[in-house]
Amino acid sequence: MCAERMPNPDVLIVGSGIAGVLIARQLGRAGKKVLILEAGEALPADINGYMNTFLAATAKVPESPYPPALFGANGLTDPRTVNAGRPTVLSLGAKGKFGDWQDPKQAYLIQKGPLAFGSTYERINGGTVRHWLGTSLRFVPNDFEMKSRFNRFVDWPIKYRHLERWYRDAEKDIGVAADVGDQNYLGINFSSNYPMPRIPLSLVDMEVEKAMPNLKVAGVGLDGLKWKVSSTPAARNSQPYQARRVCAGNTNCIPICPIQAKYDPSVTLAEALRTGNVDVSYKTVASKVHVDGNGRVSGIDFIRYDKDDGDPVERGRLTAKLYILAGNAIETPRLLLMSKSEQTPNGVANRRDDKGSVGKYLMDHPLYLAWALTDKPVWGYRGPLSTAGIEVCRDGGFRRERGAFRIEIGNEGWNFPIQDPDTTTVDFVNGLNGSGLNDGSKPLFGNALAIALNDKLSRQFRLGFLVEQSPDDSNRVTVPDQVPDELKDHLGLPRPHITYDLSDYTKRGLAAAKTTASAIFNSMHAKEFTSKPEADDPSTFEWPPGQTTRIKYYGSGHLVGTHRMGERSENSVVDSFQRSHDHDNLYLVGSGSFPTVATANPTLTLAALSLRTADQIISKDFK
Amino acid sequence: MRHYAPINLHHPSKPFDKYRSAESGITVTTLFPGPNSFARSTAAQTTAADDADRALFITLSAALTGIAKERLSPAVDPIQINRQYFAQAKTDPAFDGLMQIIRADPSNPAAAAEKVLNNSDSNIKYLGRSIILMWYLGVWYAPKKLENFNSSPPKPPYPPDKVISSAAYTQGWTWRVAQTHPMGYSELLFGYWSKEPPALDAFIK
Repeated sequence: MCAERMPNPDVLIVGSGIAGVLIARQLGRAGKKVLILEAGEALPADINGYMNTFLAATAKVPESPYPPALFGANGLTDPRTVNAGRPTVLSLGAKGKFGDWQDPKQAYLIQKGPLAFGSTYERINGGTVRHWLGTSLRFVPNDFEMKSRFNRFVDWPIKYRHLERWYRDAEKDIGVAADVGDQNYLGINFSSNYPMPRIPLSLVDMEVEKAMPNLKVAGVGLDGLKWKVSSTPAARNSQPYQARRVCAGNTNCIPICPIQAKYDPSVTLAEALRTGNVDVSYKTVASKVHVDGNGRVSGIDFIRYDKDDGDPVERGRLTAKLYILAGNAIETPRLLLMSKSEQTPNGVANRRDDKGSVGKYLMDHPLYLAWALTDKPVWGYRGPLSTAGIEVCRDGGFRRERGAFRIEIGNEGWNFPIQDPDTTTVDFVNGLNGSGLNDGSKPLFGNALAIALNDKLSRQFRLGFLVEQSPDDSNRVTVPDQVPDELKDHLGLPRPHITYDLSDYTKRGLAAAKTTASAIFNSMHAKEFTSKPEADDPSTFEWPPGQTTRIKYYGSGHLVGTHRMGERSENSVVDSFQRSHDHDNLYLVGSGSFPTVATANPTLTLAALSLRTADQIISKDFK
Repeated sequence: MRHYAPINLHHPSKPFDKYRSAESGITVTTLFPGPNSFARSTAAQTTAADDADRALFITLSAALTGIAKERLSPAVDPIQINRQYFAQAKTDPAFDGLMQIIRADPSNPAAAAEKVLNNSDSNIKYLGRSIILMWYLGVWYAPKKLENFNSSPPKPPYPPDKVISSAAYTQGWTWRVAQTHPMGYSELLFGYWSKEPPALDAFIK
């Protein structure tokens, strides 16, 4: 049935996330026949089903609205029992506790450590950008030139100027609200304005902004910096756009905007389907890529299922002229590494010797989270989850020594740090002090309760520091040749194994973030409440080394590296157009192609790269 | 995209089963959960005595929560969340003991609230707290769980036993006390976040 959907497609794409659907739409518009294989469920008529699942969820986490269900009858769903599983932040618990990060019955990823990889993803129509925040920052020019500028890591095979026009197109495609005047810092230039005016700053942003003139941060390479708060470019409507509504400030961008004022790839997927040249086979998992004797990809095996936990209903092989893998930086290398054969003994796109890079250089933005109480109300829990940040610290000579960071200002009180307002509410009703806000642990009720909660909740805010992680070849996705059943999914495919650590370069970036957070709070006369990490938390490390103090980091949801671009196959997997060095009819697209992670949230850049790739395919492969 | 908060929440024990079985209408097909068949069918089956008790329950709830009675049960109330909360509270064995306190002197709910929350019977005392949290958060913490929290304070977050319903999440008073709306349930307009909200009393009095 799957093959009958579209006999002899020109292009087969694996994955209906933002990279896959942008390319599919472009190719469809150019008259090419495109079949997409999507591992997860179909594009629904609307988002209300997902929304209701979120509302009723006890644990409101990024994955809550989406299938497969996070919980089964006995706790977290055993990933062995579902056909297209995915990680959840609920599976980052300490050893032996709920959500044990290394318990394969609770965690989809087989985490080998030594530290936890904290980011997650979705395997449904639209992919992980279903639950993104919408932040659409461009990289700064130096981000493409880390080796040349700072003698660190590698340069990209393209520079900012090569990507500028594609950034512009991507901003139009996904609908970014921002003003050029706010965004032309650190060498970023623009050939045109954004398609929508910026999102207004929140009162929280304004309070942080007031503290900028007097802010001094010492010892982390930021001395003398002219600190500034910038509105954040966001794929969030400030005007009606693409027949979608204006943002109503639901404060719920992650995991789901209830009115679809935030872009998600279902918008582009619908556009792709309307070309009449694109079709999607849902609940269809690509299981093996075949390569012929000429080094060209000759087909992709698939397994189709009906129920998330049901048996396969169809297996087969699909062929096309050109193949695009658009999973993500974990599922794409998983598929490549599952595809070992006589022609590809190390997996597809991974050379025949031991110098292949598939799966290597896995990166994220390890996130340092800090929270505080202002001395007067700022009224968080209002507006989009974030409307502004501090961007001027994203570049500088300090990048020779430590990871850079951008600072995201949160509008959701302490929801991210301690799941407030719930925690503080329980504290004041039940006489606890888990939040740190109920000195004396006194239970309250009636007017006194309402007034106390109002006082505390209206003064909460938090900062998130997205730290640049070094690309390390030891941080990687692997798929062992022999895997016990408990480490497979319900289709019998081995789940991704992750080896992950933070280098000293990255740790110094996180330590600088910690120093900067405290300095900002001091400058605001805000009282810091950032809690001390638990020693058994797998997302923490000792800092300074050898001390008992620890720093905790979170995942940013940014899956980067693992099939990076470069000039030569000795140290990269794809070229600047994301074409495999090894197989000229195979493209690997997405943030897995980034050689370095920089500090900007990756979606806009991967969207720009996708449009550039689509143009290449149309103009070169199908000329 | 952005960061994720790892939440060490425990698996809820059979969340929502009771309400799902009672209300076929909970399979919401509209964006915002509205009145459901549970409320309507309950209304059809209630007696005058039940209605009187429910009215007292709301009166007592206002004193417990600090939210005006007219807010908890407004004249125009398509959602009727009070019916779900009343039904939930009634399942607790200490409920009748709690109601005896307000029945004894319905004219002084503040005194009744004091008696509930300072009761020598810990089952009544913690049921009072469970009811406050139900109104504030739309979730149910069993009284015994709250008592256990107090004897051995856990680290947050504090997992509830269940979300009462998807509608209940949208009716939580803790959000209004913070002068805002539940995350995911804004009834406000573009840009409101750049201006100060109305005063607290405009939300709860």
